[in-house]
Amino acid sequence: MIRVRAYFLKEVREIRRQPLLLISLVAGPLLVLALFGAGFVNSNPVLRTALILPDDLPADIRAQIAGLAGLNFRLVNRAYTLAEARAALASGDLDVVQIVPEDVFGKLQRGENPTILIYSNAINPLVEGWIQYLAYAQINEINKALLTEQTRRAQQQARAVGVRIAVGASRLTELERTVSRAEQDAIRQELRTLRALIVQFRDVIPPENLFAGRSDDVENLRMRANDAIRALDEVDALLVSGDLERGLEELRDSRELLLLLDQQIAIFVSIAPETIVSPVQQRYQNIRTESIGQASGAYPAVVYYAPGVLALLVQHTAVSLGALALVRERMMGAFELFRVSPANMVQLLIGKYLGYTVFIAIASAALAAAMRLLGVPLQGDWLLFALLLLLLTIASLGAGFLISTVAGSDSQAIQFAMISLLLSIFFSGFFISRDSFAAWIAPITALIPMSHGVAGFQDLMLRGITPDPEVWIDLGIIAIITFGLVTFLTQRQFRRA
Amino acid sequence: MTSTRANVIESHNVSLIFGENAGVFDQTYTVPEGTILGLIGPSGCGKTTTVRLALGLYRPHKGTIRVLGVNPAAFRPEHQARIGYIPQQFVLYPNLSVTENAEFLASLYGMRRHQIRQRLDELLEFVDLASARHRLGRQLSGGMQRRLMLVGALMHDPDLIFADEPTAGIDPVLRGRFWDYFRTLRDQGRTLLITTQIVSEAMYCDYVAVMRQGRLLAIDTPQNLKRRALGGEIIHLTLADPAHLAKAVSALRRCPHVKEVRYVPESDRELHVTVDDAGNWIPEVLNILEDPDGPNIVVESAEELALTFDDVFIRIIRQWENQPIDQTADAMMERESHGQHSARTSHAAQPDNAAPRR
Repeated sequence: MIRVRAYFLKEVREIRRQPLLLISLVAGPLLVLALFGAGFVNSNPVLRTALILPDDLPADIRAQIAGLAGLNFRLVNRAYTLAEARAALASGDLDVVQIVPEDVFGKLQRGENPTILIYSNAINPLVEGWIQYLAYAQINEINKALLTEQTRRAQQQARAVGVRIAVGASRLTELERTVSRAEQDAIRQELRTLRALIVQFRDVIPPENLFAGRSDDVENLRMRANDAIRALDEVDALLVSGDLERGLEELRDSRELLLLLDQQIAIFVSIAPETIVSPVQQRYQNIRTESIGQASGAYPAVVYYAPGVLALLVQHTAVSLGALALVRERMMGAFELFRVSPANMVQLLIGKYLGYTVFIAIASAALAAAMRLLGVPLQGDWLLFALLLLLLTIASLGAGFLISTVAGSDSQAIQFAMISLLLSIFFSGFFISRDSFAAWIAPITALIPMSHGVAGFQDLMLRGITPDPEVWIDLGIIAIITFGLVTFLTQRQFRRA
Repeated sequence: MTSTRANVIESHNVSLIFGENAGVFDQTYTVPEGTILGLIGPSGCGKTTTVRLALGLYRPHKGTIRVLGVNPAAFRPEHQARIGYIPQQFVLYPNLSVTENAEFLASLYGMRRHQIRQRLDELLEFVDLASARHRLGRQLSGGMQRRLMLVGALMHDPDLIFADEPTAGIDPVLRGRFWDYFRTLRDQGRTLLITTQIVSEAMYCDYVAVMRQGRLLAIDTPQNLKRRALGGEIIHLTLADPAHLAKAVSALRRCPHVKEVRYVPESDRELHVTVDDAGNWIPEVLNILEDPDGPNIVVESAEELALTFDDVFIRIIRQWENQPIDQTADAMMERESHGQHSARTSHAAQPDNAAPRR
């Protein structure tokens, strides 16, 4: 114990003599977090976008499309031709160009799919993903707006048709009685006008799939309109032939079909266009709002990333200290002195583990306390938090000592520590979710102590739940295996000192 | 010259070869208890390797070595606790104070706090570092760092101390003080093996081993080494009349007690006369030269020539280099194996006379 204490005290005293190290370890990450919190505005990228609209688009629709595009893209305040826009895209002055085709409504009515062309010159795969996603969302909104407008127009037409149908039905009733030839001609003219209106209405009825899931009355609107048109054609033929007595049955059927259409029109116009276009609505709720009584359940970005920063600080400090610890002593010749003494290498390692653990624990506790100033909570059990911190520190120190056993010099050790930092930032789930990687990356992720630290600290600090057993087990395994390896390798180096 | 004291280190035919002409070869020597053995030789001659072999840091490829009665490779903590070691470079911690560094080293030897405190006070006084006890390692001068290393090596009160070039890079005054410390330690009964590149420091040692290219060329007391190097002691003669120089040489060469007579370069009236014992033979030499019935030469002055150890070292090296090439180390060791291993002095004679030129 005396020898373990000697190594322990030596490390503690050495670090104590470097107050700047402690200050930078606490103040540095805190400052970065504070800057991040103050400066972070949006998680999706700002995309400078030119929107090229056709001249034939009505002003209200232009405004609506521009408004929708402006939700996801930052529209530049300048008119571009297609050539100018592509040139600006190539030179990096624009990020996105959107081109809305001509005759959108005509194409829609003809059953065609008008296509909005979206160009980008992105080099960042994440940005390209964002552009595709935001464009998809925007096109959905535009489709919704166009269909809503089309439905609204169809409803206006339907109201006009509805008024005429009532008149038309009464005229058919009149025909069942004996009417003069002149009256027949007048009725025939009225019915032709009615037919023309129904044809116009039928042509503006939104696609049938829009009504999918609604009642048959609405879903079959187009079919009913066609039935009514056909019935009116038959009446017209009867009137032309002048033999109305033989066609009394057809007249009654036609009147029934008109009344059926009238009923369906009445239902159709009674539904709000938005309801027809978007029958399913969403209502989002973060269940955390129930317990915390706030509108938004998610934390601000600065708070969300704080556990990751803490895990990063613990791991990087431990890895750096560990990486330099043995290589420095080996290079300065201290191993020789240790070998001549009765102290053994396990005592050396335990002493160093203890010394660095105490230091990192102090720095981490100070940082965690300082994070409270930024509103970072500790929702979970602080004892579990301390235990996780301890495990993460020991596992990370093991990784650092392992680097120390293979590094041939200080600079190599620092280089390896930097590589481990890079590896951690990419694969630990700090910025990029671990689910984003292929399955074969999982073992690499599991080997990084910080991966478990980030998950564990997020659970404990932000969710207030106990981290998964996997977190504890994996960290424990890393700590044990690295200690074993470091002991074995250092023993060998010790013998060769 | 032999010793009745027990040998703390016994090395027999030890070789450790790192590569062609690198390493140490056929080292046979003993170090009696309570003495200082100085390993002297140029940089890279194998001094540190010799120390590391004795510390058990290296294992010999050939031969046997026993330190404190055991093979160093099998040192147990109780053996290690009897050894103090000052490595060549400063391996203590720049961010720890003098006291903390010494405490750290003492703790490695299992010393408790109260023992450390008492011992540290003594040692800091001993090496004049008491006033610097709170100074950080990085704030110490080179000499202070060396003294701190000495304190660290002595904290656990070892019987055997290895010091690898403890005086390298420090001023002559401080070097003198270091040797004072070492001799005090020797007087307290400790055994010291000290390496140095500074040949003049040989005079502070009880025994000196001259090393070159991994081999022990000579090992003996400083005085005996001098005699061996020079073939005796030298009387420096200055004649009153340069014209008598040739006559003086002729007269002296006829004397059976005179081993050699040499002209002093760039002088027309000085001679160097080699005899067994200069103190005893100066009157006899004067009698021979001033004999009125003989040469009748007036001698202006006659005194023992005080050669520096640098001269002795150079002579030993030259003698070794002038050995026939076919006298290999193996042949040398074969001769050595005929019962000459009991005392360091006997070993000193072997390399002097028979070591091969490499």
